[in-house]
Amino acid sequence: MASDFEVEFIERDDRNARFVVRGLTPAFANGIRRAMIADVPTMSIDTVRFVENSSVMFDEMIGLRLGLVPLTTPLDDYETGETATLALDVEGPATAYSGDLRSSDDLVQPADENIPIIELKEGQRLELEADAVLDRGREHAKHQGGVAVGYRHLQRVDVVGDAGEFDEQESNILRGVIETEDDELVLTDEFDNDLTERYPGKEVEVHDVPGAFVFHVETDGSVTAEELVLRAADSIGDRAAELEEKVAV
Amino acid sequence: MELRVIEKTDDELRMEIAGEDHTFMNVLKGALLETAGVAAATYDMNPEQSGGQTEPILSVKTEGDVDPLDAVGDAAGRVRELTDDFRTAFESAA
Repeated sequence: MASDFEVEFIERDDRNARFVVRGLTPAFANGIRRAMIADVPTMSIDTVRFVENSSVMFDEMIGLRLGLVPLTTPLDDYETGETATLALDVEGPATAYSGDLRSSDDLVQPADENIPIIELKEGQRLELEADAVLDRGREHAKHQGGVAVGYRHLQRVDVVGDAGEFDEQESNILRGVIETEDDELVLTDEFDNDLTERYPGKEVEVHDVPGAFVFHVETDGSVTAEELVLRAADSIGDRAAELEEKVAV
Repeated sequence: MELRVIEKTDDELRMEIAGEDHTFMNVLKGALLETAGVAAATYDMNPEQSGGQTEPILSVKTEGDVDPLDAVGDAAGRVRELTDDFRTAFESAA
């Protein structure tokens, strides 16, 4: 197993990252992907105590909606199962938004402020106290930090010659990231995913690059994309360390 | 992670690794197959609803004088090194 990894970013911001890793085995790439989805814990509302709910919805339905609100998660401060308390108090006529949630911990806040919870009419009121708990996506999808996580093989495009002068150019659609002959990494969006846009009148060959994977990671805002990847790798590493220790005994 | 050895001889091991799923088992199997002295390695896992054995069972067969438990330890160490390397590479690129 090659262990000299090479990582190169193509896109990167808080919630979204696209990067190429070289030197990976498919098993390891998939392990990291699965860990990002199911094993990196996030905070999510799990228990709700209603003080007043005169809205048109049952407590349970509002509880479900609250659970689906992504909360920022300080993973260093919480252990799995630990809770933080949030409160909400909105009186109609108004719409209760995720941004109306008041948290006991400044680091545990709704990741988005504009998620509607319920519209309240004149005289309706929603007042509640909720406990957010840290848990993993394996337990409930509301604890998934990564919402769109996947990888593709890196593809290398080589120009092998000119297309026949009178040949009809058929579009050659690729998605993701390609590596050009100059070892440049190019996002396929840049040429409308169509190789004939980038290499008009040329004949090209496309090959998979062995051991190179293009990851695309998008999070719901509870953790940054970067932290999600690192925590996923750590979660596999921790389990390996645990096994190593237990087998040695 | 709870380990339970089901069968163990000088060159064969069957062991239940309770609490794990494909995420870790497939990585471990991949590492085992690349470990020196391992002739065969696989794991078997049944879906939740199957009603029988649902925890993964790791099977390892070794050749030469390699103890299968040591091979599992080596492979786990390898996985840990890999994740550490990955972390370093990722952090330096970020």
